[in-house]
Amino acid sequence: MSDAPTPLSASAGAARDTSRRDVAIGLRGVAIGYEGKAIVHGIDLDILAGEIMFIGGGSGCGKTTLLSCLTALRKPIAGSIVIDGIDLARANADEIQRVRRRFGVMYQLGALFGGKSLLENVRLPLEEFTDLSDDVMDDVARAKLGLVGLGAHAHKEPSEISGGMQKRAAIARALALDPPIIFLDEPSAGLDPVTSADLDAMIVALNHMLGTTFVIISHELASIYAIGHRFAMLDGARKKLVALGPPAELRDKSPDEWVRRFLNRVPTAEA
Amino acid sequence: MRNRARHQDALADKATIDVRVEGGGLRVTPEGALTSETIGVMREKLERGIPAKFSGAIVFDLSKVAQIDASGVSLAVFLYRLAKARGLSFETSGGDKDRRLLVDLALRGQDPEATIPPIGFVREMGVAALSLQEILLDLIRFIGEISLVLVRIARRPALLRLRDTIAAMSRHGTDAIPVVSLLGLLIGAIIAFQTFDPLAKYGAKLQVADVVAISIVRELGPLITAIILAGRSGSAFAAEIGTMKVTQELDALRTFGIDPVRFLVIPRLLAVVVVTPMLSVYASILGVAGGYFILGPQGFTVTQYLTEVREALTIGGFLQGLAKAAVFAILVAAIGCLAGLRTGQGPGAVGLSTTRAVVAGIVAIVVADSVLGSFFYALGI
Repeated sequence: MSDAPTPLSASAGAARDTSRRDVAIGLRGVAIGYEGKAIVHGIDLDILAGEIMFIGGGSGCGKTTLLSCLTALRKPIAGSIVIDGIDLARANADEIQRVRRRFGVMYQLGALFGGKSLLENVRLPLEEFTDLSDDVMDDVARAKLGLVGLGAHAHKEPSEISGGMQKRAAIARALALDPPIIFLDEPSAGLDPVTSADLDAMIVALNHMLGTTFVIISHELASIYAIGHRFAMLDGARKKLVALGPPAELRDKSPDEWVRRFLNRVPTAEA
Repeated sequence: MRNRARHQDALADKATIDVRVEGGGLRVTPEGALTSETIGVMREKLERGIPAKFSGAIVFDLSKVAQIDASGVSLAVFLYRLAKARGLSFETSGGDKDRRLLVDLALRGQDPEATIPPIGFVREMGVAALSLQEILLDLIRFIGEISLVLVRIARRPALLRLRDTIAAMSRHGTDAIPVVSLLGLLIGAIIAFQTFDPLAKYGAKLQVADVVAISIVRELGPLITAIILAGRSGSAFAAEIGTMKVTQELDALRTFGIDPVRFLVIPRLLAVVVVTPMLSVYASILGVAGGYFILGPQGFTVTQYLTEVREALTIGGFLQGLAKAAVFAILVAAIGCLAGLRTGQGPGAVGLSTTRAVVAGIVAIVVADSVLGSFFYALGI
């Protein structure tokens, strides 16, 4: 079997025309893992500006480790990850700091700061990285909470709102510095289907209105089909990227049996 | 520095905004880029351009905006809140559908009244007084709840979790012996050291033993033990039970039909009520021994010292010390467990409960000590 993923035309199906867009994040020959041992290697992937890209795969396939590498929390054990002209694998501390301004991250459990209101949570990056006046920072934070439908809850603390609202607030915080890229780690985990669909709609609206690139780590099939422009699938057993393309097309036409089973939710026994 | 100034000038040129009164209302037309880069300059220009008086609607005109992002849209939030605060209407005009949608989304739920007014000093004092009252009532209710559970246990002793109680006695009693020993010994020595010179002036060197015995047995023995208890055990109770609350273990207990007061509070409370008077007696013995470290080198024999101590002490004074220790133990255990049970949500909640348990515990000990001291004095003990 070839080492390359099974590509399908990027412009097919529900996906937008991605052929002429800039590359927001470029991965070349990336290997990720721990203590020199690769979980997945040889990842070649261009995530395009303005794209909603899902990255998924079975449990333990390295999704979360890849997210850590993409968000500069750990270095890949081989290859390069280039964001805004900076290779995260070789960047120094200043460059890493600069590149971090180019993206926002929403963690699985929201990771909002307890004891601070939602407004203060969203204001925090503005306080650290801008010299806006207090009033302007408040209004910028309010605008961002408004965009995620939490304008009326600005003064509540994370413990006073539901899990779905916490995730939306975390997206508002990720938007604080208007980064062109936002990473979302399992945004639908623990949410009911309606809340999850609301969150999907919000991601599409933000992507459409602001042109933000979304990189979403998830294996929530409903969301992947509903809003994903492309899906990149990792396989821990074969230690590689096994599929890349519009999700519905991969589900129906992927030459890789494991990819079709995964995307059609076929249990192991039936296969 | 110069680069930064040049950048600011360039932004100022790039960001222009037209603010004019039109038909009695205010029309605000930003031009060019309305983004996170230009929002500071735009806002400054806007605030400078707003006239003191206008009465019609505020219109936010997007027709000349070349680029807008999620920070730029905060200009609309500012104008919308301004309009609401003055009882005026607000509308968006110009721009394409997406931009108007972006503004509409950002304005959803924005309400100037939602802003919490800054808390003034007087208001803060009032809030603090009310919360103190609430805490005291909560403590009284909790002690009542504990009493009811104790009555149930007295009727059916099998309800007591004896193994947990004994484990708690070991953790909060035996394990506290080293620190109680050290403090008891040193406090006794310090009292003897501080009172030796003044009493020696009156030729009453041996009466230092009286001072040490009375102050340690009646007052300082129970007090030191209780303060150590608040620091070691009160905080531990709050942290243990608080963590269980945060991780929903308390909810799990309740769903099994297990009362957390019987399961968690009673074993801890009984353990410290039993061990604290014992530790207090032990601290008193070491405190009295510590006093001899000062008097011994002055030529007094152990027999002389102990005879003086025995004459100074009464059975009433000894029982007073024991009673105080038991009351302090009840307060520290109840406050620590209550702080744990009332732990809020979030990562800081357990820390806050622990701090509350220690501070409230020590305050309660000192207040109770003064009340009990007056009570025993009135009884002539």
